[in-house]
Amino acid sequence: MMASNVATRDQDQPIISVRGLAKRFGTQQIWDDLNLDVLRGEIIGIVGGSGQGKSVLLRVITGLVTPDTGTISVFGRDVRELSREEKVDMESRWGVLFQDGALFSSLTVLQNIQVPMREHLELPQSIMDDLAYLKLAMVGLPTDAAHKFPSELSGGMRKRAGLARALSLDPEIVFLDEPTAGLDPIGASAFDQLIKKLQQTLGLTVYMVTHDLDTIFTVCDRVAVLADKKIVRTGTPEELRTRPLHPWIEEYFCGERARAALT
Amino acid sequence: MLKRDQGVMLPTQVATPGYKVELRGTAFCLVATGSWTVREATALDSGLRRLSVPIPPTPDFTGQVDISGIEQLDTAGAWLLQRTVRLWEDRGLQTHFVGATESFEILLDEVRLRGEDQRMETQSGGLFSSMVADWTRAMTSVANDAILITSFLGHLIVTISRMIGQPWRFRPNSFIHHLDHAGFRAVPIIALICLLIGAVVMQQGVVQLERYGAETFAVNMVGILSLREVGILLTAIMVAGRSGSAFTAEIGSMKMREEIDAMRTLGIDPMETLVAPRVLALIVALPLLTFVGDMMCLIGGGVMAKVMLGLDSRTYIDALQGAVDMRHFLAGMVKAPFAALIIGLVGCLEGLKVSGSAESLGFHVTSAVVKAIFLVIIFDALFAMFLSAIGV
Repeated sequence: MMASNVATRDQDQPIISVRGLAKRFGTQQIWDDLNLDVLRGEIIGIVGGSGQGKSVLLRVITGLVTPDTGTISVFGRDVRELSREEKVDMESRWGVLFQDGALFSSLTVLQNIQVPMREHLELPQSIMDDLAYLKLAMVGLPTDAAHKFPSELSGGMRKRAGLARALSLDPEIVFLDEPTAGLDPIGASAFDQLIKKLQQTLGLTVYMVTHDLDTIFTVCDRVAVLADKKIVRTGTPEELRTRPLHPWIEEYFCGERARAALT
Repeated sequence: MLKRDQGVMLPTQVATPGYKVELRGTAFCLVATGSWTVREATALDSGLRRLSVPIPPTPDFTGQVDISGIEQLDTAGAWLLQRTVRLWEDRGLQTHFVGATESFEILLDEVRLRGEDQRMETQSGGLFSSMVADWTRAMTSVANDAILITSFLGHLIVTISRMIGQPWRFRPNSFIHHLDHAGFRAVPIIALICLLIGAVVMQQGVVQLERYGAETFAVNMVGILSLREVGILLTAIMVAGRSGSAFTAEIGSMKMREEIDAMRTLGIDPMETLVAPRVLALIVALPLLTFVGDMMCLIGGGVMAKVMLGLDSRTYIDALQGAVDMRHFLAGMVKAPFAALIIGLVGCLEGLKVSGSAESLGFHVTSAVVKAIFLVIIFDALFAMFLSAIGV
């Protein structure tokens, strides 16, 4: 019965936990004492005005940018105290979708999806092909996209292909940087549904940086608001809309566009 | 990856995956246990492939996949299970899953649904057929290039003749800019290279001709060779590497950022604004550079003649005057504008062929230099044959 106790305790523990984060670029203090918890299995949306460091926070959590002070733990481990091997292992447990997909331009879509498999595992080519085709179908790309190069794809297709690469190793967390930016409303809404569906199918935790009010209201379980150099509030989109308690949140969730998104 | 209890597994808890087939009443049952994830996929795959598909003795036998013992499941594991199910069903065993949690069920259904999509096979024929295909592709691309460059030349000639009728269409600023970049700024490097090659040819000539006591004829050799071939070829190759590639990169990066399309929508002809000034500037610059190259070759030869043969400059010039005349000089110079046309056309054309990616830009820059040098040398050989046939 020990095992089930461990499991329950782990479930309550946040999968990503950021404490007392501070970062300064030159003379510009981006955050000072930023705290954030992401729970297992939720879709959290990070919103905030331009220049509040939404994308930088994603980069800090994934280890691309080092913070000045503060601790970040993912899966209960402090990411800055990992050995090289542990870091690589952790990287294979999360996937990142960058803004424009960040696909490797010299590889076909299928090869792009197989890159993480090649790097982290030793799989026979036939399995990699089968799995890559499966991932391609799961993100809703037609099979004839498999042998195309990223430059031959539309923006929406590049994002889907980038998502397929991020999901290549069945990660537990997926980081999405503005997944619907630059997509037309129909494409954006289809992408929202895709994220929701994949989250349910694969039991993902989704960390999403976004501006898109439609995305927030349709897919996000919780929203964290970056303002005044920290996370000023977290809560369900509905909570933030009904009780904003902060001028920026009020403007964002109760403004003209928010009303349009809700109707 | 989905976990049965939705909690975090400690590393020690992660069970190695396993499976066995047993007969439960009239059902063949594949009992899968442990963690069926992408990390275990290699072992599971080869094992499952070896597993023989049970043959139902009577039609009422069914198949079962009991996954109540699976701790962790991801798409790779689900895919392996579904592949086995499909194999069994192909043999006439109706197969269903037993012991799936709700989340496992969703994943298994999704994988079944998505895994059935048709895929595009890459046709990988034998070595011979792929070789033939490669050759065919190479030949057709050469043919296409020939057509393209010819039509591009025609387009350029039309543009330039229109410019003659309507001289305000000519862009003097752009022309001067490229004359400066492709011409004037190339003088030092071309002068240096020609000086060195002139000296080397003289030195080798003297060493070889000394055996016959004809070392003074090395001056004739250097004179004729420099003026007819070395000066123009070296200059053209340097300019192709320096300016041809720059043309491709400039036009190509404009193409990448849709600037060319923007020009067209604004009613600006890229042929007139981008291609014509570059090609015309090169046609003016290359003969001038060739002249510089010729002179530097002769000077290099003279320096080496002084070192090796002890000829002073007056004697050297006298010897040169006896050896070469105007037709040798002109035979070299006449090639320069044509070489310039080739380099300019190829550089601009490759630039316009660039598509979306940065990789394509790199490819076309390389291809512009290689094609320009190749064509210049072919053209030079044709000229040499022609000139010797008419006795120049």
